Amino acid sequence: MGPREKLALRFVLTAVFWLGVAGIEGLLMRAILAGMLSNIYGVEHFYGMMTVHPFVGIYGWAYMAVLGAFYYLVPKVLNKELYSERAAYMSYWTLLLGVLITWVSGYVFKFASLYTLYWPLPIVRFPPTSVLVFSIGMLLIFISVLLFFFNMFATIFLPQGEERGAGYIFKKLVTLSFNLDEIKARIKGVKDYIPGVYSYPVFIVGVFRGCVDTTLNALTMTGLASILAVFSLSSLLGFKLPTSLVDPLVYKNVFWWGLDLVADGNVLIYTAATWYFLVPMLVGRKLYGESVVRTVILADLVVSLFVWNHHMLADTPQPLALQIQGQVVTWGELITMGLTIFAVLKTIWLARPVKYSTPLKFILLSILGYMIGGSAGILQASYALNRYLHNTQWVIGVHAHVLLLAGLTLTLFAVIYALAPIITSKELDSRLADIHLVLFFSGAIIMSSAMGLAGIEGMLRRTLYPNGEYAEYMYTALAGGLLMAAGYLTFIVNFLKTYGISTVITVFKK
Amino acid sequence: MYIQVFIEVFYLTLVVVYFAFIGFFMWVTSRKSRGRREESKAEEKGAEKGMERDEKIWLVFLLVVAIVGNIVMLSPAIPSIRNVLWVNQVPEKTFEIFIENYEFKLPKYPVRIKVGQPVEFIVRTNDVTHGFGVFREDGTMVFQIQVLPGYDNRIVWVFDEPGSYTIRCTEYCGFRHSEMVVYDAIMVEGG
Repeated sequence: MGPREKLALRFVLTAVFWLGVAGIEGLLMRAILAGMLSNIYGVEHFYGMMTVHPFVGIYGWAYMAVLGAFYYLVPKVLNKELYSERAAYMSYWTLLLGVLITWVSGYVFKFASLYTLYWPLPIVRFPPTSVLVFSIGMLLIFISVLLFFFNMFATIFLPQGEERGAGYIFKKLVTLSFNLDEIKARIKGVKDYIPGVYSYPVFIVGVFRGCVDTTLNALTMTGLASILAVFSLSSLLGFKLPTSLVDPLVYKNVFWWGLDLVADGNVLIYTAATWYFLVPMLVGRKLYGESVVRTVILADLVVSLFVWNHHMLADTPQPLALQIQGQVVTWGELITMGLTIFAVLKTIWLARPVKYSTPLKFILLSILGYMIGGSAGILQASYALNRYLHNTQWVIGVHAHVLLLAGLTLTLFAVIYALAPIITSKELDSRLADIHLVLFFSGAIIMSSAMGLAGIEGMLRRTLYPNGEYAEYMYTALAGGLLMAAGYLTFIVNFLKTYGISTVITVFKK
Repeated sequence: MYIQVFIEVFYLTLVVVYFAFIGFFMWVTSRKSRGRREESKAEEKGAEKGMERDEKIWLVFLLVVAIVGNIVMLSPAIPSIRNVLWVNQVPEKTFEIFIENYEFKLPKYPVRIKVGQPVEFIVRTNDVTHGFGVFREDGTMVFQIQVLPGYDNRIVWVFDEPGSYTIRCTEYCGFRHSEMVVYDAIMVEGG
């Protein structure tokens, strides 16, 4: 196993560990909401767990897996060396430490402001020490992802063996991400101009355009974590800064603008890029409509910059025009995602008869997950329906968890199943992989649908129901969660059976 | 019938249709009878750029769905938007509610409203972000808004059914968030 393979596997195996942690948290939360375990887990533990759960799930699992996969795939596709292996390992340690510290802030220091961090909740309700620990964890996470982005941009844009400054990379990035060279050529009246972006494979275009979104997200979140750190530090030093220094509405706008970029950058664009890479490889034909999908990725990037208002449809001080804009632009995601799915399915269609290998089955069900979760998202992002759905279990169930578990997670597992044999020269057991897929997918749909239907009945998210008002839905959700857990364990058994514990030890050895 | 029922039915229908579609797609594309790998029209011509015909048709379909979807979602058919965009409802009564120390401070308990009477709720707080949600006796939500500290958070609503309504904080605001419930806070009479 070479250094590149070892690096990728270290990220992926750590990611799988965090997925397990997030899964246990999810099961515990469903059990508590079903009225079980209340004598073990109090209110503080419940909300502490709920606060760290998305950090573990998104940064521990999804980001770790994406970083590992892209550190391996991007240089391989470009036939280049990774710009800096040292920086890649630094990003591994900072991400691992960041997620760990964030987790500790919730479980040990009882920081329970939830990931929304609505101003001034963290400062008003929680001890400054807990806020400081949490913000340090958050800062480490975003330092890690910024290191990753720089490594990606440098690997993609720097000519092999040449030393150029950060300015060169930045100029290339902005020009190619937004097709500025094509715009310039059109203004100048150049005929038959081929944009620079055409010299990169579609997968790479998806990676760097997705990285633009996630870089902006990381910068925004770094800013917000810094605000939390400054306020908590000042409090610890004995002079309390007035919370009125930050306006809650402006803060909320900045937060959602930055946070929603992850949904589009990481979830939509990275996923699309991964499908564009894997599907042609798995069915043995070129991607259908390559030039169109490049434009679709650009459209997705532009749309993602203007959708945050759909998170603020219940904020009546927010101007109505912005809220309507949030709704209208969100429908743009139906168009971009619709075109992405069309290109992928048409590629498979033109390659028929197709042998459905393990990764291809995962991708097909991942597409199904995106169709379900995306449709639910568009419904809740309408100004009118948001009045009935905002902050209910619908939002977190049939939208967020379907997208993250059935959509994103299955795509990430498709990558693992596709790349593992390339990295290790050994294929995972396909029968066990099928069991993994069926259990995980059906579990995700059962759990999320039970949560969603509870939301329709009025069950709120981010709310503990001490009397178990929606227990029957939560028992069903718990059953779905257990199915997912069984799927996850099947994967672990499959991995250990195929590669042995020695591979795991080798990956984590210096 | 509440609008939530329509959302539920619509969602479940979509799930069934999507499952059937993906299942059918996998079955058709794995069948061996065709036995031939096809080229798309553009590939046959060696074209690298531009959209193919079926892509254009699909794009038009998506655009139509998006336009129709937006029109329906902004139409007066949905009660929550009727009072905002289509009917200039002048509130006959205004209720000012203040939230402090995890408690709703109502002008009186219960708040009495008549069916069909436009009323305005102005909800304020000075501590953290809360939510103001109104729920029917069966637990389903009538409406909700966020309550931002330092702002006047307003909503005009017309209740179309008599009954007793509960108010509840719909945004997590700290460890005692779940305690922010006032049962039978609103009595809607008449009809």
